[in-house]
This record gives sequence, C-alpha cells and structure tokens, in this order.
Amino acid sequence: MTEEESGVRRWLVDISSWRPSPDQFDAAAALLPPHERPAIARFVKEDDRKRALVSRLLQYSLVHHLLRISFHQINIRRTAEGKPYLQNNCSDFPNFNFSTSHQGDYVGIVSEPLCLVGLDIVSVSEPQGETAAEFVSNFSSYLTDHEWNCIVGAGTPRDVLTEFYRYWCLKEAFVKAVGAGVGFGFRRLEFHHEGWTNICICIDGEVSKKWRFWLFKLDETHLASIAKGDPEDAINTFKKTLSSVTIAEKQLSSALDSPEEAFTLQTVEELTQSQE
Amino acid sequence: MASIAGSSALSFARPVKAINTNSLAFSPVRKGNTFLHLQPMPMRSVSCAAKKDTVDKVCEIVKKQLALPDHTEVCGESKFSELGADSLDTVEIVMGLEEHFDISVEESSAQTIATVEDAADLIDKLVAGKA
Repeated sequence: MTEEESGVRRWLVDISSWRPSPDQFDAAAALLPPHERPAIARFVKEDDRKRALVSRLLQYSLVHHLLRISFHQINIRRTAEGKPYLQNNCSDFPNFNFSTSHQGDYVGIVSEPLCLVGLDIVSVSEPQGETAAEFVSNFSSYLTDHEWNCIVGAGTPRDVLTEFYRYWCLKEAFVKAVGAGVGFGFRRLEFHHEGWTNICICIDGEVSKKWRFWLFKLDETHLASIAKGDPEDAINTFKKTLSSVTIAEKQLSSALDSPEEAFTLQTVEELTQSQE
Repeated sequence: MASIAGSSALSFARPVKAINTNSLAFSPVRKGNTFLHLQPMPMRSVSCAAKKDTVDKVCEIVKKQLALPDHTEVCGESKFSELGADSLDTVEIVMGLEEHFDISVEESSAQTIATVEDAADLIDKLVAGKA
C-alpha cells in the first residue's frame, strides 16, 4: 500500500548538537559532488561552514529521497541570482522546486511539486550597540508605511524587534520563492494578517490571491516563514527552469489550499546515512 | 607562462588574497608586454579597480559589522556572504559605508554588492560623482 508521493517536504535540522571533528566534517562534505566543497570551505566562520554543509546535505538528501537519484548524479545548479534548482528535472513533479534557509541553530528545507515555495529562518537577536528602535530604523526603506507603523507600535523593544523580524522573514520567503536575489525591492511587498494567521500579500499595491504564507515559531528565538504561490510570479531566470508555469486556476487553488504541514526534524546523521 | 597559469588557477579557486596588477609586472619575461594587462582577472575590470584606500576602509567596516576577529583575512575578493553576512548584515554594511563616505546608495545598486570590491567600486564612483 503506497501513498502517492506528493513531493511536499518540510525538513529542519538543529545543528546546535552537531559538533563534528574535522574528519567527520570532511566525511560529510565528501558525500557531496566535488564542486560543492570549495563553496563550503570559503565560509570564514566555522558555524557558517557547518550551516553551508548541512544546507547542501539537505538539498541533496531531499532530492535523493524524493526522486531516488544518488548524490553524485544529482545536478543542482544556481541561476544568476543564486537560486538553486534541479537541472534536468525528469520527475513526476513538473515544477519541483525547493528553498533552504539557515540561521542560528537551524537549517531547513522546503519543497513543492507544483507551486513555488520559499523558506526563511530568522533568529530574533538583540542588536549589538544599538536599541531595537535604532536597529529597525536601518531597514525602514525596505518596509511599507503600514508595516512600519505596525512595527513601531508593537509594544516593548522586544515586541518591536520580533514584529520587524516577522515582516522581514516573510519578505525573504517570498523573494526566495520567486527566485529573486536581494534585488527584488522589499518595499513593493506589503503583508496583511489577522494575528499572524491568514497572512496575505500585496505586490505593487495589489492584493494577490495566489500566494499563501505561514509563520512558525521554532523556539524562543527562532522564527520561520514559508511562502507558497503561483509559478507565474517566478522571475525569468528561475521561470525557465520550470516545466508548467501556467497552471489551471482550479489546480492552483487546490494546491495552495492544501493544509500546511509541520516541519519534520532531521539529524545530520540521518541525512548522511541516507546516502550509504 | 607561470604567471598566466597562476592567474587562471587563482581565478578558479577565488583565493582570499587580492590579485594585484603590480605582481604581474615583476615577471621579467613579460616586461613591457601590454597583453599581460588584459589577462582575465577575477576583478571585473582592471582599469576601474577600486582604490586601495577604499577597499581597506570597506574591509574595516565589514569586519566591524560582522564582528570578525582582527586577524581575519578580508580583501577585495571577499564575498560578504562568505564572511557570514546575511541580508540584514548587508543592508547595515551599506548604511555604514554611506555614513562613512557621505554618499547615498540606491537600493538597486546596494543589491548588486556581493564582494568588498563591488562595494569599493561603487563608493569610488559615487564619491567621484560628488566631486
């Protein structure tokens, strides 16, 4: 009795408990195709190298798990904007796409077969050497007036900080889903919500019915956002990698309205063992 | 030949050390050979390479924003992301640069900055534009 494979995944790894020796780190990196390793090595901080490695392990494990291809046969490329995608997607999932994010203790990946999907994880951390208000005002040109008012009116400095990070995280998830780099123009996006549920987006002033958003609290300091929406909104360089950009409205609605799943926690050991 | 092979190997490996046109001029075999100066380099355009002072200042501001230890090697080639900058850090770095150099960077330009060299190039252009 097999369930039809949906191609939908939500995986999360808590790397705080993964403390590999240099040999263990190298062994994990050796599972990836050679071209990925210099990219990981170039990160200056050890924690960033860890996150970069786990992020790639998640990508390859996910594709291996869903499409049953061995790591060395998986061809993950990046668009000019840096969006990773699976080249030569011969799977049953016409627009198979995924998004990874890492921050603090967490590295995550999300995938969808048809709709675009984006993930962003933030760590709500106290700014160094400036107040919450000062920190947030650095980013005022990336927020709309409405969002700005919601943020500064949120309450205590901690509330203001958290509110800011929610908006930022949602914008990042959308921008990553459509395959844009930081060049998208965050101020073009405005989020509306009811107690941070039923979150919807206005793009260039128009409400979009073809996007859904969710915010998750991973723990006391980490938030994650997921954006899911219409492949037509992908930017050109990413759109070219998709097979089924135009989807019938009914099919899109049904995909958008399918219930959102919780994250599954994976360990690095599980990811590395899956390839053995 | 060594310097040509050297530069292509370096451009693949994207080393931490910046490549400096002066080092090519030292090769006795290539003395006076203008062809050498047109070798493909990791930098965008040799003739528009950012001023060393600007690059140094950018390195300093970046190190501070990312709380990198002083001995960390940061140079023109260094990518912000590889130094540990996320999108928020990049915005703050650009703001720090705007304040220090008294310039205004448009959002669209800010977003093309990936390396220290990119930032220094942009700063030099904006500062020159003001003069």
